[in-house]
Amino acid sequence: MFVRMIAKAFLRQWKKMLMIAFTIALGSSLATAMLSVMMDVEDKMNQELKAYGANITVVPKSTSVISDLYDVGDENISGNYLKEDELGKIKTIFWAFNIVDYTPFISTQVSLDSGNTATLTGTWFNHHMDLPTGEALDAGIASLRSWWTVDGEWLDEQSDGSSECAMVGSSLAKKEGLSAGDMIHVTGSKEEKNLKVVGVFDSGGEEDDLIYVTVDTAQALGGLEGKIDSIEVSALTTPDNELAQKAARDPSSLSVSQYETWYCTAYVSSICYQIEEVVTDSVASAVRQVADSEGQILNKTELLMILITILSMVGAALGICNLVTASVMERSQEIGLMKAIGAHNPAITGLVLTEVLCTALIGGVIGFYAGIGFAQIIGHSVFSASIQIRPMVVPVVAVLVGLVTLIGSIPAIRMLLNLRPTEVLHGR
Amino acid sequence: MEKTVNLQIQDTKDIDMKKRKMYIRMITASLLRRRSRMIIALLAISIGAMILSGLVTIYIDVPRQMGAQFRSYGANMIVTPDSDRMMPDQVEAVRGLVPDDKLVGIAAYRYETVRVNDRPVMAASADLEQVQKTSPFWLVDGEWPAADGEIMIGKNVARMYNLKPGKRMTCTYAPESETEAGDGETEEVVLDNWVDFTVTAILDTGGKEEDYVYMRTSDMEKLTGEATAYDVCELSVSSGSDELKALSGKISEQVPGVSARLVKRVTESEDTVLSKLQSLVLLVTVVVLALTMICVATTMTAVVAERRKEIGLRKALGASNQSIIAEFMGEGIVLGACGGLLGAILGFLFAQAVSRNVFHSSITLMPWLVPVTILASVLVTGAACMIPIRSATQVDPALVLKGE
Repeated sequence: MFVRMIAKAFLRQWKKMLMIAFTIALGSSLATAMLSVMMDVEDKMNQELKAYGANITVVPKSTSVISDLYDVGDENISGNYLKEDELGKIKTIFWAFNIVDYTPFISTQVSLDSGNTATLTGTWFNHHMDLPTGEALDAGIASLRSWWTVDGEWLDEQSDGSSECAMVGSSLAKKEGLSAGDMIHVTGSKEEKNLKVVGVFDSGGEEDDLIYVTVDTAQALGGLEGKIDSIEVSALTTPDNELAQKAARDPSSLSVSQYETWYCTAYVSSICYQIEEVVTDSVASAVRQVADSEGQILNKTELLMILITILSMVGAALGICNLVTASVMERSQEIGLMKAIGAHNPAITGLVLTEVLCTALIGGVIGFYAGIGFAQIIGHSVFSASIQIRPMVVPVVAVLVGLVTLIGSIPAIRMLLNLRPTEVLHGR
Repeated sequence: MEKTVNLQIQDTKDIDMKKRKMYIRMITASLLRRRSRMIIALLAISIGAMILSGLVTIYIDVPRQMGAQFRSYGANMIVTPDSDRMMPDQVEAVRGLVPDDKLVGIAAYRYETVRVNDRPVMAASADLEQVQKTSPFWLVDGEWPAADGEIMIGKNVARMYNLKPGKRMTCTYAPESETEAGDGETEEVVLDNWVDFTVTAILDTGGKEEDYVYMRTSDMEKLTGEATAYDVCELSVSSGSDELKALSGKISEQVPGVSARLVKRVTESEDTVLSKLQSLVLLVTVVVLALTMICVATTMTAVVAERRKEIGLRKALGASNQSIIAEFMGEGIVLGACGGLLGAILGFLFAQAVSRNVFHSSITLMPWLVPVTILASVLVTGAACMIPIRSATQVDPALVLKGE
């Protein structure tokens, strides 16, 4: 009988039920979309903030000490380098997945035909790597220097003859009267070469006085085979907290469990520490300008999204609550009649609640999928990447919709229970 | 004859007045009588209005507030002298060109090579309070130098000389030309120009600043015996890159002897990230608003649909469709306006709370948003009432009253 009554109620009042289901679907899609976006926003913004370039630099252990101690002007003689063949190891650390980009630098002094000397730096532009994990990575300054404006083209490492090409900084190009397409003759300490200028870049900084070439070219010119000056690493990191700051000062001051938490969290300090573990005689340090600001902006963005999410969830909740109350109250006559013919209060409560919850279930499920759709629309149009839906969203939305529907029914049901059948049927 | 016409006019006026009075009474009575339903409707509308005004306020204010956050990346404009050095009045002139409310910090630096234990170290002097504003990312272990004779040293310098905060160090100054002149002369110069410093802080930036020492301008003057002239001036200005470009052009043009450049790494990246953030908030606002407005509309529909019987009864008593619509719309508009006003206030409070929590600053009040919110609520409510009223007025009163 109970099932039949409910089925009848649905069939008879399908229009009303449809409206309730529709509103609940809207509410739950809103909650789903906002929760998904909120939970993913840190990752997405982190990717965007990579525009600021590397947040970790790796240098040989004692460069600064040696060059200062002996007061040597030319760093080439100090003999402190990183090994080029160890570069691949950076992608094997615990947080390898978080390392989105990195590039080595090797500098050498060259003299130009005009008689001036210039610093020539070898680096990766779009170096292609096949990782042991089966992934492929294109690393280099083409992505690490996204703010450069290039007149001409970026040097393409994949193309033939890339070792005969160079990119020249704008101030140097102005001084030497170079533009894209010109040839430049450079004399290094070991070899001399004719290089084709493929692009002139404007970095708005000190790099405008440099010549950039491929690593091999720079090493050959300076006789520095297999050697690297420094490495810049761009990693996705978790904003620092107290633990990370403590660890950054001295990892050995941590207790065992603290150490594990720290080592297994993508703090910039733990990534630095892990890089030092794999690259011999290296010091990896966080570029504070990028690392700190990144953390701050990520925290703010997340907080902002959390508050907006709370607002929209409260809105969705109140909206559903309201509608449920309104539509249950509307049925006072029907309930009055039921009471008049002898229905007990628990029976009426059960009937109304089952009806509403059934509707909520249908609406909630439809809304959940619609919400995923909304989240993807936001993800694709803002970040051009899909939003990852966390499993956590499902129970949160389910509990939210369930609770809200129940709470929305309570005032209405209480009112219905207090009804006097005679009054209602009388039409008051 | 004239009298009758006059009377008739009086009559119609009277009737008009009475009609209007009756109309108002009907609406208020209906609103008061059906209190619980009306509270529900009012609540729904104010939630919608609150979300509208709150989110729009946040959306408009986000670039300004976030822009200020992005200043944590440090200086975004550099002013360099065309010739040797900049005089303090040139720096003042540059400062005067930047609007006060946009300027986060302006720090002019002077660099000199000093000797510590006979080894050269780069020393920089600046107004250190401004440096804290232009370079908020510096990690300082200790206290910033606050009095004369205090110095902040880079991490590498500290390691090289094995110095800690609280220790003392002596800097000597010897202009290059005189050091090269000959041994005897140099010693005299060295003896003349030295200052004893207390190390108050060690600086960690992950950049070249770790090789420098930082002192107050007055100490540098004492050390070199020369009046202050600056090598470079860093500015942190919170505005978009187009405004910055215009500003740097203005500075280069109006202040003689200096040229201003943008720090591209900071300005370009800020544009990219900030525009993403803004479009994120925009899309979220649009989605949330659309869904909420539909929610409000369905609630209103439910509230009005409940009154089909009433409408039927009125029709049976001879009310015209028009008068029914007018009455219900009147109710809807009153509700919409009240809810809109309430929501606009709540929304502003919400935006204010968000701004306080996230950015630690208060939000700018946008007065035009109040009428816009009220108008939007009235429109949504009106549209939402329209659908059930129409369907109710179109059916046969007999059928409605019978309950079908």
